[in-house]
Amino acid sequence: MKIILKKFSKNFGQVEVIKDMDLEIESGEMVALLGPSGCGKTTTLFAICGIHNITSGQILFGDRVINNVPTQERNVGVVFQNYALYPHLTIYENIAFPLRIRKMEKSEIDQLVQEYSEMVGISNLLSRRPMHLSGGQQQRVALVRALIRKPNVLLMDEPLANLDAALRLRMRSEIRRIQQETGITAILVTHDQVEAMSMSDRIAIMNDGKIQQISTPTEMYSDPKNTFVAGFIGNPPISFYNGVLQKNYFVGTAMKFELSEATLSNGIQEEQKLEIGVRPEYVHPNFGDEVEGKILFIEPQGRETLYDIELDDGQVIRSIQMGSQQYQMGERIQWGMDHKNILVFDENGENIFSKLYGTSPKL
Amino acid sequence: MKRIPLAYWFLLPAAVSIILFYVLPVILTFVFSFTSMASDTGIYGNHYVYSKNAIRALEKSTLNRDIFKKIIERKYVFDSESLKIISQSKIEKKTQTEIEETLPGTVYSTEKALFEALDKLKNKPRSFRDKKIISRATIRSLNGEEFIEISEMRVAFEKLQIEVGEEDFDLITEVTNTSWHWTTKNYREVFSNPDSWRIFKNTGLYVTLTLGLFNVGCALIIALLTFYMSLGQSKFFRSLWLIPRISPSVLYVLLWRDLMDHSGFISYVMGYFGVAPTNWMGEFPWVTIIVINGFVGASMGMIIFSSAMQAIPKSLLYAASVDGAYMWQQIRRIILPQIRWPILFIASYQTLSLLTSFEYIQLSTDGGPARDTEVWALHAFHTALSNYWGNLRYGFGATLSVVLVVIGIIASITYLKLFKFQVLLQEPPIEN
Repeated sequence: MKIILKKFSKNFGQVEVIKDMDLEIESGEMVALLGPSGCGKTTTLFAICGIHNITSGQILFGDRVINNVPTQERNVGVVFQNYALYPHLTIYENIAFPLRIRKMEKSEIDQLVQEYSEMVGISNLLSRRPMHLSGGQQQRVALVRALIRKPNVLLMDEPLANLDAALRLRMRSEIRRIQQETGITAILVTHDQVEAMSMSDRIAIMNDGKIQQISTPTEMYSDPKNTFVAGFIGNPPISFYNGVLQKNYFVGTAMKFELSEATLSNGIQEEQKLEIGVRPEYVHPNFGDEVEGKILFIEPQGRETLYDIELDDGQVIRSIQMGSQQYQMGERIQWGMDHKNILVFDENGENIFSKLYGTSPKL
Repeated sequence: MKRIPLAYWFLLPAAVSIILFYVLPVILTFVFSFTSMASDTGIYGNHYVYSKNAIRALEKSTLNRDIFKKIIERKYVFDSESLKIISQSKIEKKTQTEIEETLPGTVYSTEKALFEALDKLKNKPRSFRDKKIISRATIRSLNGEEFIEISEMRVAFEKLQIEVGEEDFDLITEVTNTSWHWTTKNYREVFSNPDSWRIFKNTGLYVTLTLGLFNVGCALIIALLTFYMSLGQSKFFRSLWLIPRISPSVLYVLLWRDLMDHSGFISYVMGYFGVAPTNWMGEFPWVTIIVINGFVGASMGMIIFSSAMQAIPKSLLYAASVDGAYMWQQIRRIILPQIRWPILFIASYQTLSLLTSFEYIQLSTDGGPARDTEVWALHAFHTALSNYWGNLRYGFGATLSVVLVVIGIIASITYLKLFKFQVLLQEPPIEN
């Protein structure tokens, strides 16, 4: 079922949490609401499932406005961050809860619980209580409880936040698999970009109660609309550097290089203040010599090594290179950047040069 | 030497006060329940008293009838002792002299006969008062007599020329001895007394109704209502319900008495509906004691339940509404099971507290009318400490209290079993 938010706003007393948000989620699509904590993503989720009333605007399921439909009748499935399993009920009773509330036949409930618990592999735990389950198992129970009555929409609030790293990886693909199998429209709230990028069809990145950009994970990475998105997406994060345009050259206090034609053709003015963003993988010894400074910090990550380079004006540019550590801390180096793959923002942090070409760096 | 952990020293004052004020009284109550202590025995008393009770007991005993008659008999004897008292009195000298000369050795069996004999004297006593002095000086009787030692009693018997065999003498000393003794009679009395069963039923009714309607029922309703109210409103209503608890009990009951009096507010209001002024407390004593206790008792449950409800993670209620549960279903399926343990706590705690507390009943109906609202604890209190018309029976009162203790223990164990207390107290395994 399609979900549409139209000029949705939410205030808590005087505090404006969400302001005029527009979002359209296609049927069967999984969209991640990504953003730092406090940006209003959980508020949005709670507004969609009806736990919070909305201050103004409209929420539509399909073509039905559900602003005043009580939570109980919206038929949404929610996976809460702490799973919110009923501690006094067994796993079976937890999963069957939504069906029992609907006064479904006992035999039918039995059958559905069996079917769904097998889907996520918890059918052997049905007689236990939530507190006797591990985090991953609880997570599956919560997921099954949300799905069992075939909701219009599946909403997940940080579903993987309480899991350990290995389990998180596994559950990521499992949730995605189940979502695709059932074809349900889903919204995932998360602050973890990897989770958002790997699990969803599209990402809506939020900051200060506003959606900054909605696009596919790849597009989000290569064509961020502004410095917030560019900075939030990508790990290790992008580095920014300030300067001005002077005769086709980007000139900063400790760096100067010629901008590509594609960039210049986007109407940058002479002497315009700019902020460039360069992703670490496009900083490499082979690219040239405009990044000059000394290595401030080295972070070996096994397959790759991350270098923080302090330029002479004290600003830092990050570089990630395949292979093990080749350079020493404090060593003076002179590396370059892939000029085609530099994001150029104006003074306000809006993207001017649109995208990374994503050509594989010359290594 | 093993060192005692510091924690135990910190616990010491608490331990001492628990032993002094809780353990010891229970033990002593148990001990007293096996005695015949009462206000006529005293706690130390070991005298020999020919009280009305003792004489009644002697009458029913196997004592030789002649001896019994002699014991209850009154005599007026002019012996050296009585003459000595008369000589020291303020009776006229010539009368005294005549008595000393003519009467020694005579015995009269009634005061009337004595007075007639006195009237025949030439110098007869001039006033009734003088006659009374003589009467008092000459009277010899065991009736009402009190002896501190057995030997004194033997002397008295000799004086009255009562010859008693050893067997009878033992019987008499046993019956007249006022000291308390060890007995299980109290327990037999508790179970045989028809009053006990009636008071027991009263107590059951009182505890069940107050607990069910107010201490748990009303408390739960207030807690649930205020749970769904805004913060300000809920605070207001909870504070309102706390007023009965924080007001002094005497004033609180006095207000109720005024309210329910003939000329009270209820009578006043009912007057508009043509109801004659009524003493509502006397008319509905049961409603009175349940309401008075309930209004006080509800606040505690309300506070405990409210805070327990606040402690339920909000997300559980969110999850329930998402799952389709409306308010009533949320209450029944989520909130009530979640606060099962506080409900158990309040139910058991208040059962015990209602079983043992009687002050509001005492202040309002005092068990009346006609002991209709007498409950067990009040009965024990009346028996042992506040019997206006008769003996204070400490031993029997203690027995009643022991029965209450036993009932309390049985009630607690039942509650604990019923609510699977062990399971509730289990530490949850820490995972995730």
